[in-house]
Amino acid sequence: MADTLATAAENTWCPGCGNFGILNAIKKAISTLEQHGITRDYVIISSGIGCHGKIFDYVNLSGLYSIHGRSMATVQGIKLANPSLKLIDFTGDGDAFGEGISHIIFAAKRNADITVITHDNGTYALTTGQFSPTSSKGFKGPSTPQGNIEEPLNPLTLLMEVGATFVARGYAGKIDHLANLIVKAVEHEGFSFIDVLQPSVVFNDTYKEYNERVEILEKPLGSYEEAVRLAKRREGKLPIGIFYQVSKPVFHHELYGDWNPVENRVSRQERLEKIRRFIEDEL
Amino acid sequence: MIIGGKAGQGTNKAGSVAAHLFSEMQRDVFQMNDYPSLIRGGHNFSVVSSSVGPIRSHYLEANLIVALDKRSFETHKNHLAKNGIIVVNSDEVKGSGTGIPITTETKKYSNPMLISGLASIAILAAAVGIPKEELIEIIKKEYKRNLEENIVFSTEIYGIAEKTIGHKFTLKKGTEKKKSLTGNDAIALGAIAGGLDLYFAYPMTPSTSLLHFYANNGKEFGVTAMQPENEIAVANMAIGATFAGARAMVATSGGGFGLMQEAFSLAGMVEAPVLFYLGQRPGPSTGVPTYTEQGELRYALNPGHGEFPRIVASPGSVEESFYLTAEMLGLVWRFQTPGILLTEKHLAETTMSVTLNPERTSWAEPLMHASGEFKRYRDTSDGISPLLFPPSSSVIKWSSYEHDERGFTTEKPEEIAQMHEKRRKKLHSLIEYLKTIRTVNVFGNGKPFIFTFGSTTMSVLEALEYGDISATVIQPVYLEPFPVWELEKYRGKQGIVVEMNSTGQLATILHDKVGVEPKALIQKYDGRPFTPTELASKIKEVT
Repeated sequence: MADTLATAAENTWCPGCGNFGILNAIKKAISTLEQHGITRDYVIISSGIGCHGKIFDYVNLSGLYSIHGRSMATVQGIKLANPSLKLIDFTGDGDAFGEGISHIIFAAKRNADITVITHDNGTYALTTGQFSPTSSKGFKGPSTPQGNIEEPLNPLTLLMEVGATFVARGYAGKIDHLANLIVKAVEHEGFSFIDVLQPSVVFNDTYKEYNERVEILEKPLGSYEEAVRLAKRREGKLPIGIFYQVSKPVFHHELYGDWNPVENRVSRQERLEKIRRFIEDEL
Repeated sequence: MIIGGKAGQGTNKAGSVAAHLFSEMQRDVFQMNDYPSLIRGGHNFSVVSSSVGPIRSHYLEANLIVALDKRSFETHKNHLAKNGIIVVNSDEVKGSGTGIPITTETKKYSNPMLISGLASIAILAAAVGIPKEELIEIIKKEYKRNLEENIVFSTEIYGIAEKTIGHKFTLKKGTEKKKSLTGNDAIALGAIAGGLDLYFAYPMTPSTSLLHFYANNGKEFGVTAMQPENEIAVANMAIGATFAGARAMVATSGGGFGLMQEAFSLAGMVEAPVLFYLGQRPGPSTGVPTYTEQGELRYALNPGHGEFPRIVASPGSVEESFYLTAEMLGLVWRFQTPGILLTEKHLAETTMSVTLNPERTSWAEPLMHASGEFKRYRDTSDGISPLLFPPSSSVIKWSSYEHDERGFTTEKPEEIAQMHEKRRKKLHSLIEYLKTIRTVNVFGNGKPFIFTFGSTTMSVLEALEYGDISATVIQPVYLEPFPVWELEKYRGKQGIVVEMNSTGQLATILHDKVGVEPKALIQKYDGRPFTPTELASKIKEVT
């Protein structure tokens, strides 16, 4: 079968990069979503800036290639303008938890109906491997030759704390599992987040570690507390799967109900008539 | 008249009711509120000036002053016009002016602080001979909360004022009853007329009332207001909204606009038609948040890194704000590039009598892709690429990276140059288009030439009328691209430049771009707008 989601853009990721796994997973997920009735015309993508962002050029879907840290705001704007669209936002760990941390926290807080996928490689790879918000303590990079002196952020517990209604962890080395997570995240009504463990073969090669430690969650976790406890685990097995999912009202619907700003636009004549009446009655 | 009191006494509200009262007499009004950045206490005052026929400035020399507290009396006692009266709160001020024990009277009511502003309306009604019944009608319309108390209190004060000052003033009735609204109201309505769908903003004076306007009234017009976490999110969400085909506007002041810089540049690159409202107040930095200045002209002309076309215009009156906002929303869509509506606190929050004709507004209608292969950044002869919105079977890619015509990242030298040239073609197309519309206002035909912009235009026009001075006033409405084609006729001519900043930014631009020789520069940079009396005498000094 022809890969209709492929583009003519030359792929410039390093051979063996974890991003290839995420690219394959998204293509699989789109095929499944189409089988579920969500056609690709309605799937809109965005990304930040960094190695992860190149995925924007490699997937033949409409979208807006945003700037560092801001794609989470970009997709919320698209969603608000046309809530019929499904938004998938690819971010790096620097985008989501450094430059743009305010946007992801507020997107989760307001339960914006978007999906954020973080390509979490624990380093700023495209700028040659500096430490990132999720780098482990002691991580050595060109800006931390003696080792990172900061503790890493925990994306999962952070987002559960601020109100995310779908929180998952995937692994770039388990493509089918990740594809399935993406499908569920996109189908989730509300803010969905997937932290994808992504080895950077040049600057933070974690394949060996993840292949040993990663373990698929076989059944849903029973409670928020259990999800937090498991997400905090640093030693031993690294669970992947859906940690937490809950149904809550979504932002755009709370804001304007069943309105769709671009589909229900008020005509010019109607606007002028309403303005005339407003000036007459209200001023 | 001047109404002075503490924050929380409702002087601004009283000012707008006074303006309404003059409007009912078919007179034109101009209301300027002066208030510090605090919630309770301090000194607030509202100046309401009125005339038969157009009035474009407040006059600090007042016929009627109501001082609700001692500080108001001390501040404004020298602002009393000849034959004017100053009514003081005799519980605070002894032995001066006409005393009414306002504090004592308010103590009978449930919210003494808030109700006290109402006294000024009762005093005004008595002073200009409005019958008590009419006053009650106005109270019913304007002070609905705790209405019964409000009626009792205002008739009480009206009775005292009738005895002490009587029907002191006889005001001529005008011929046309006009509506009065603030610059921000006019901008809010103008954007709706121009096609606005989504409004994003983080609160910041003097833009804040736009957010409130849309939050309260937007639904009626199909406009949604959203208050995100910061100005960075504001600007990026607006860009996202335009990708989906919604007409979007954002508003802020200098500090917030600083945070929008990278998004402004993004809008230039992805060719997102976002209208940015930049309301000036005295800077740098936090500056003086609730006062006025024009210190950000150069800032408005040069935001965002990299080269791309941008459209900047500044309205010179409340009425012009309405039409210009609709026009600007249309322009950013026509040329798919960001625009800035540059205003000042003095325009944004000032109330003025206007006649608006919604039919005269323009409408944002983008060029849409019709047939054939869709390329987001198709390199056309005028640089403008037809648009498509999702959902679409064609792939639509907007990109912050330099891109090829399809929107894919490129580093190829010929494609980088091609896209630079495409954006430059848009600039040329924009200039050619601006040549077909009005970009400069010219008032009068006398000598000297007076150049000004934004709300200072109102101050200049009123000063000329007040001082009976002959001049030609030239107001560039569009500031970028700068309308040299209109202004070139003044090359080498001497002119007076009036602007509200300390470095003469408009004078420098006029000199550099069209060779106007500034003979004199009249500036003000103390946060307060010019009054006609002071500006008229300054103009006379230099002519």
